[in-house]
Amino acid sequence: MKVTLALKPAARSFIPIEAESIVPKNFLDGTDLPVWRGNRELRLDEVFSVSVEGDADRTEDVEVVLSGETFRLKRVGEYMDGGRVTILGDIGMHCGNFMSGGTIEVRGNADGWLGREMAGGTIVCRGDAADYCAAGYRGGRKGMTGGTVEVFGRAGDFLAENIAGGTVIVHGDAGDMPGAEMRGGTLVVHGDCRRPGANMKGGSCYVYGTAQGMLPTFRKIGTVQHEGHTLIRFAGDIANRGKGNLFVKAYEYLD
Amino acid sequence: MTELLVKNACVIDPLRGINAETMDIAILDGKIVEEVSDAAEVIDARGMLTLPGGVDSHTHICGTKVNFGRYMSPEDMRAGRTPRQGPLHATSGYSVPTTYGNSYRYSVMGYTTLLEGAMAPLEARHTHEEFVYTPLQDTMANTLFDGNWGIMEAIRDGDTKRVAAIIAWTLRAVKGFGVKLTNPGGTEAWQWGKNVSCIRDPVPYFEVTPAEIIRSIVEANELLGLPHSVHLHCNNLGTPGNYSCTLGSLGLIPDLNEKRQTLYATHVQFHAYGGSDWKDFCSKSEPIARFVDMRPQIVMDMGQVMFGRTTTMTADGPMEFNLYRLHHEKWSNHDVELETGSGIIPVIYRRKNLVNSIMWAIGLELALLTKSPWQCLLTTDNPNGAPFVKYPEIIGLLMSKKYRDAEFATIHPDTEARVPLPAIERELDWYEIAVMTRAGQAKALGIQDLGKGHLGPGADADVAIYPIRMDEVDPSAEYQKVIDAFSRTEYTIKRGRVVARRGECLVDGSNATFWVSPKVSEAYDMGKDPDFIEKFDRYYTVRMRNYPVQEEYLNRNRCIETEARI
Ligand SMILES: [Zn+2]
Repeated sequence: MKVTLALKPAARSFIPIEAESIVPKNFLDGTDLPVWRGNRELRLDEVFSVSVEGDADRTEDVEVVLSGETFRLKRVGEYMDGGRVTILGDIGMHCGNFMSGGTIEVRGNADGWLGREMAGGTIVCRGDAADYCAAGYRGGRKGMTGGTVEVFGRAGDFLAENIAGGTVIVHGDAGDMPGAEMRGGTLVVHGDCRRPGANMKGGSCYVYGTAQGMLPTFRKIGTVQHEGHTLIRFAGDIANRGKGNLFVKAYEYLD
Repeated sequence: MTELLVKNACVIDPLRGINAETMDIAILDGKIVEEVSDAAEVIDARGMLTLPGGVDSHTHICGTKVNFGRYMSPEDMRAGRTPRQGPLHATSGYSVPTTYGNSYRYSVMGYTTLLEGAMAPLEARHTHEEFVYTPLQDTMANTLFDGNWGIMEAIRDGDTKRVAAIIAWTLRAVKGFGVKLTNPGGTEAWQWGKNVSCIRDPVPYFEVTPAEIIRSIVEANELLGLPHSVHLHCNNLGTPGNYSCTLGSLGLIPDLNEKRQTLYATHVQFHAYGGSDWKDFCSKSEPIARFVDMRPQIVMDMGQVMFGRTTTMTADGPMEFNLYRLHHEKWSNHDVELETGSGIIPVIYRRKNLVNSIMWAIGLELALLTKSPWQCLLTTDNPNGAPFVKYPEIIGLLMSKKYRDAEFATIHPDTEARVPLPAIERELDWYEIAVMTRAGQAKALGIQDLGKGHLGPGADADVAIYPIRMDEVDPSAEYQKVIDAFSRTEYTIKRGRVVARRGECLVDGSNATFWVSPKVSEAYDMGKDPDFIEKFDRYYTVRMRNYPVQEEYLNRNRCIETEARI
């Protein structure tokens, strides 16, 4: 079953639309779903032109395709546990929160908190992801615990903050503090980033570019070969007796 | 003129010696009266358990410390979310909810009066501002004097009357209700990077000991004729073997007041530990309970720990630092100038953890081993031992051996060898629970004459009607029914108005704050004392004239004037 949701140009507004109901599973029972704009509840078809092709009994067989100016559409795919969501353009904040299964593909850019606290499944972002991609949430002790997030563009600050499991791969550069408070899982940044691994307790963080503002609380161990890269291996963050592994191609301490 | 008549109520009213009598309760303009006219609105209680409104004599719900707990734990706000609804505000939070969250949840459980356990005088405005937004309970604040420089100097000089004078001036200035000592001397020592290990260690610079602070302030409290006694959080909280320090502190207290206790020892569970370290940690509830049994001058509260997530917060800064070193989680530490300090860390008490399991047992033991329920009141030191929403479960545990055994089977297996709990057969009855949750609390706070904690004519019409009939339920076996009943009243009546019904709050409410203004002679008016004024201007960051909390900060203002003997 393929559900196509085309955002109506008239439904565009400065106030974001909260669309946690857009999850493949929900469409097994039809398209009569609510979304919210501020404190107003709207029907899905007040915001989107909705069309459905085919039918399905299982979540895995549902694909939802979103088109139009969806950059202010929040929480799409929250708690998603299977099926597929394809966003042809950009997507708003909190896409794939708490996701545990299935696939989300963002063809454009993603706003903040893409895949926050995700537990399983796959998110692919063809463009850039903003801050807190694959991160935990305010005050929480555990961020992402499983699954995969792959960003082909750049990622913002606090990438994979508090990650405890799963894999995050960014093909471009990342911002400040990737892997902060990391306690498990794997983070790979193909480009450059600033201050990776701050206060990490466990897990592995790879930087194939240059780590700027490298933290002085990591102990240098030696060089290793990894996927065709020669990387310098550090252990830390020793500020709090962390047992993480940080691998960087090159690094610069702050002056 | 508003009249209300509660008919067929099965009343337990311990302060008037009433035990399960079916009667009517007449209410006129917010007060209990002998009778009302036929025009009165009628509520038929149909034989349900009816008690005076609940009183919590030690809880942390308002003020800078609580609020810091809120903003250092945004994750706590993910729980307990309810939307705005009619006159009700939105709420969120579990262990440190919004003020409305606290107020609504307490109201649904039948609580109508709350004492904030620790208000730093300098930060009193914040507490009073939050009191205004805790609309369904009358409020009052214990005021911290554990590290007050002026008081420690007066104690060093042996001048108890000056101690009393400083307390009088401060209570009036900050609209405080009672005198709280948290780890007396220890928080001041903490400003020097130290702590006091027990009551005989001198505080750096001031060279007074906790024992001298406790004794002198207890005397000063009685000189001022305050409604409540000194409210003590003993030194050495949370350390193995601290029970001997607790006994030493309680042993300092003479019997100075015939109407109430002379010392209120709070959250004694945290102070009843045996052993020499965490490896041989064990319960010492028995010696504490026996000691209290023999001393009518002492009242304590449980400080029960319940399993789950919560936030610890106290003026005991050094203790929180020790906790931080155990858990390595987030921690806040705060200094309050010439007065006190505080610390906060979130914790999770786990059944599978031996120390936590023993703590859980100790609180229950204190309540079950202390003979008189008037001397051991039901609290969790909310939220330190657990959020107050756990009170109904604690009532269930105290009333049912079967429930205790069922819970005991789920905790750390080594607990049995370290605690007396499994051998305790006692099951508290409805009357004892009524004492421990309202009557005893009102008496200990000295507010029964102000119309709290009982249903006698003239009392504030604060009533809790629980959806349970004593003659139909055996609490020993049907503890779940007891828990359900105490979790949500059929009706909570506050100042003569139904404020909650079957788990739903109905009105926005408007509360009163009780505070104390002791009348002292001209010679002991610290507002005119040159030395006090000079020190104030020299050391505080605020001007003395800006320090007092204006009465505009209070909602309904109930000032208690006392005749001081100085
Ligand atoms: Zn307390």
